[in-house]
Amino acid sequence: MTSNLLWLTPLLPLVLGLTMLLVRDRRVLAALDVGGSVAVLGLALAIARRVGETGPVSALGVLRADDVAVVFLLLVGLLAAVVSIATVGWMRDAVARGEMREDRLHYYHALVNGFVATMLVTVLADNLGILWIAMEGTTITSALLVGFHGDKHGLEAAWKYIIVTTIGISFGLFGTVLVYGAAAHAQGGVFEGAMNWSSIVAVATKLDPGIIRIGFIFVVVGYGTKAGLAPVHMWLPDAHSQAPTPVSALLSGALIKCALFGIIRFHTIASGACGPAFSQNLLLVFGLISVVVATPFILVQHDLKRLLGYHSVEHVGIIALGLGFGGVVGTYGALLHVINHGVTKALVFLVAGDAIGRYGTRDMRDMKGFLAIAPLAGTLLLMGAFSLAGTPPFSIFVSELLVIKAGLASGRFASVAVFLVMVVIIFAGLVHHVGQMVFGTAPASADRARESRTQLLGMAALAAVMVLLGLWIPLPLDRLLTHATEIILG
Amino acid sequence: MTAEFATRLIDLLGALLLFTMLVILASGRLFRSIYAVAAQAVFLGIAGAVLGAATGNVDLWIIAGVTIVVKAILLPWLLLRVVRKIQIRREIEPVFPINGTLVVAAGIVVLAFHLTASLGPVRQAITGNALPVGIALILMGVLVMATRRKALVQMVGLFASENGIFFTAMAVSQGMPLIIEIGVILDVVLGALVMGILVLRVRSSVNDADIADLEGLKG
Repeated sequence: MTSNLLWLTPLLPLVLGLTMLLVRDRRVLAALDVGGSVAVLGLALAIARRVGETGPVSALGVLRADDVAVVFLLLVGLLAAVVSIATVGWMRDAVARGEMREDRLHYYHALVNGFVATMLVTVLADNLGILWIAMEGTTITSALLVGFHGDKHGLEAAWKYIIVTTIGISFGLFGTVLVYGAAAHAQGGVFEGAMNWSSIVAVATKLDPGIIRIGFIFVVVGYGTKAGLAPVHMWLPDAHSQAPTPVSALLSGALIKCALFGIIRFHTIASGACGPAFSQNLLLVFGLISVVVATPFILVQHDLKRLLGYHSVEHVGIIALGLGFGGVVGTYGALLHVINHGVTKALVFLVAGDAIGRYGTRDMRDMKGFLAIAPLAGTLLLMGAFSLAGTPPFSIFVSELLVIKAGLASGRFASVAVFLVMVVIIFAGLVHHVGQMVFGTAPASADRARESRTQLLGMAALAAVMVLLGLWIPLPLDRLLTHATEIILG
Repeated sequence: MTAEFATRLIDLLGALLLFTMLVILASGRLFRSIYAVAAQAVFLGIAGAVLGAATGNVDLWIIAGVTIVVKAILLPWLLLRVVRKIQIRREIEPVFPINGTLVVAAGIVVLAFHLTASLGPVRQAITGNALPVGIALILMGVLVMATRRKALVQMVGLFASENGIFFTAMAVSQGMPLIIEIGVILDVVLGALVMGILVLRVRSSVNDADIADLEGLKG
């Protein structure tokens, strides 16, 4: 029964996406989109409930949901649902402004649904080969979405995105091959489910550490490229800023977390084979580089969406730092940060899309008085920005605090010091950027129409989660994250 | 076929793969690179057949056939078609001198063999020198992509890099499960199609520009 749910979850958006190719009416497309993604969220919740009650669920040794997968599954499901609701209003405005052509909307919706389906397979995959295939599938579907506007910048970003992440992810495939080879060797031959994460983890301590080390380096570089870890993040600010806004929200909020999910799977295997120190140190280095590299670009950025792209590099770095500091607190903090950053970043991207539509520019120096022309969206932007900067009482503050606590507990004071300095600088930069955008007098040309209801609904749902998780972690979520932490630490 | 003979054949094919890779790296002509990457895929297919005969695994024969059809015929045909559509005959303009590139490539080969020589008994799980050759091919493919500013050459580098992965994957115990290999190849084809679409769209919308040469997004 539950194994059917595992199949149904990615199949639903896939079939829906194919059906959408035949539909031409904007309203029907929007209704299908919202209905389908809300159903996906429902399926994700049902799987989460079952996993919480009876433990991991497997489907034919191809798909498998354990607590780690459920954390990411819930994030993808939530963002897919909320973003599709917000898309309704955004799309109406975008068509009215001439940014999207009405006769190509069915391609857009079909691609978004295909993109969501591949992300769902990624997080539900047990077979490491399927995990890779689905991950590359996300690149193919989302590259077309990044270049969907068809202008010069969009196509340039799409090209960089597909070429860099495809070569990057092929490193991940090579790492997968090496880990699979090590597992087959440890078992004395190929066995049933030899490529499954669950069966490789069971023999992790018997794997040859030498080859796993080489394999894990390839995996971190490969999946790390897709996750936007510096120094292999060059494509990210381009792709995340050029994509249509709802796609940006999904790319930054959900997709880069799916790539981290791949790294986490191999992290557990590598910890078993070579001891936790090796993979932790590697993740620590990548995480620290990401936070440091992102900082100057955040300070000097004037393009609103590029600013958010560099913020994603920073936050992916923070998650890697949490995993790198390790221990129960660090891993728990990293997982919580996956959810917190996903929700917050999707929120801020949606507000940014609304703002860019109103001013007709994405240069923050020309966007003044946003709070005056759009009081509700402006308030949400302020809240989201302060959360991104790590201010209490918002959710990111909590997970960053856990990461720092784990760093101090593991005695890595230098790394924590660098991290803190960067966070303070980024805080100042972000407050400056958002402050000049939110306050002041708006130019006369700015659109002062009321925010569309569906967009506000989507943003408000995300903001509610963001505030809630800052104040209090509900018991089921706490239990889920605790179990997931245990699985990751092996 | 004895295992020892198969190992010697795999090492020979590995050397041929490295040689074709050097042809791609040293070549100043786009056509030559495309034919070289197609030849590479033929060697890869033969390697699959050799390993299939040596291990008695029928799946490897199928993979060998699919590799030749897709990577030696379909993808090069796609590349040549795009070349004809956008009519570039000009030579490849490297952003880094070709001699320097070759020196780096030599370093990569030495590094790959050195790295894998340190491995323990697990090396037996991978036939012959398939592991160091695979690592060298992947890194040299990245080198091609990093030093050339032409979209189609970058695609050639990508395919060559992927050939390295397939070579090692075939030689690992009895190859990856068939269904996974098929899925991976499907991804490769779909990815190549999307790249082709992007190249053609830039050609038609931005007067005569090469997509890999656009530099509008900075900072």
